[in-house]
Amino acid sequence: MELKIRKTGTNYIIDVNGEMDLYNSYKLKELVMKMLEKKVERFIINLENVDYIDSSGIGALIYICSTIKKQGDKLAITNIHGSVKKVIELTKLMGYFPIMNSIEEAILRMEE
Amino acid sequence: MDSADTTYLSGIHEIRVDENSPLFEKTNMLYKEFPSDYRQIRYFTLLIVQSAPLEIKEINLLEQQISEIIKNAVKHGNKCAPEKKVRVWYEFDASHAHLIVQDEGEGFKDLETWNDFNRRRLEKLAAQDFEGLADFVSFRTDDSDDNDGGNALFAALEYWNGGFVYNTRRNAVAMLKTYPQRHLGVILEDRPGQG
Repeated sequence: MELKIRKTGTNYIIDVNGEMDLYNSYKLKELVMKMLEKKVERFIINLENVDYIDSSGIGALIYICSTIKKQGDKLAITNIHGSVKKVIELTKLMGYFPIMNSIEEAILRMEE
Repeated sequence: MDSADTTYLSGIHEIRVDENSPLFEKTNMLYKEFPSDYRQIRYFTLLIVQSAPLEIKEINLLEQQISEIIKNAVKHGNKCAPEKKVRVWYEFDASHAHLIVQDEGEGFKDLETWNDFNRRRLEKLAAQDFEGLADFVSFRTDDSDDNDGGNALFAALEYWNGGFVYNTRRNAVAMLKTYPQRHLGVILEDRPGQG
């Protein structure tokens, strides 16, 4: 799994590339925690290039989501598809996660 | 709660213990055993999934669901003790996936606690109480660490639509997934649960 950060305005987009599994999902969690320490307030986690997620990956997203919510910061998860979407549906977390179809939609929502 | 969404409370929503379930019938099933090596869980899973036919859609999802069960056996069952084995019986065709995974651990002692936790989670979902749901997104025990999502069995119970059943010692779990069959363009109903 590879993580890349880009910035548009005050939004930080994290592009996740590869598989979010039991061996590497902690990396995304650690990255977001470091960004929170640096006072980043708006996160978009882009899963466009993720075709596989397991319970550790879902767990990392839950941890990130709950930490950001507690701090009153903003998060969107975008471009989920295929088996990633299926696993989130099976876990019944579609209503829990702030899921947006696209980065553009997420940026618009951040401005609200 | 007239507006509650009762679909969350339909279907199989409890892990059962039933050693006599037909899902534990091993006749004609393939077999592999593995050491409890955490680093190789996905590799072991691939060795099993490679015998699944191409007709099975969403093979990624099947692989992920099997990987979770093997992970539970390696990590929570056998506590990653390399001398302890994980035994897997499996059988795939275009209409179903059937697995039995057994470890050498003490068994899933928190099964009732998990069922109770899951029942309360489903109630929150039925009431569309997403604030309250936050307390029920991850099942934790004394065993859990930061890498445990605590959500694998929620998905497992949904995915294995033909049953997800433990033996009496609770160190073996049998599961069945049925796939809808297409005949002349018509999707027939899933096979009824055998759990």
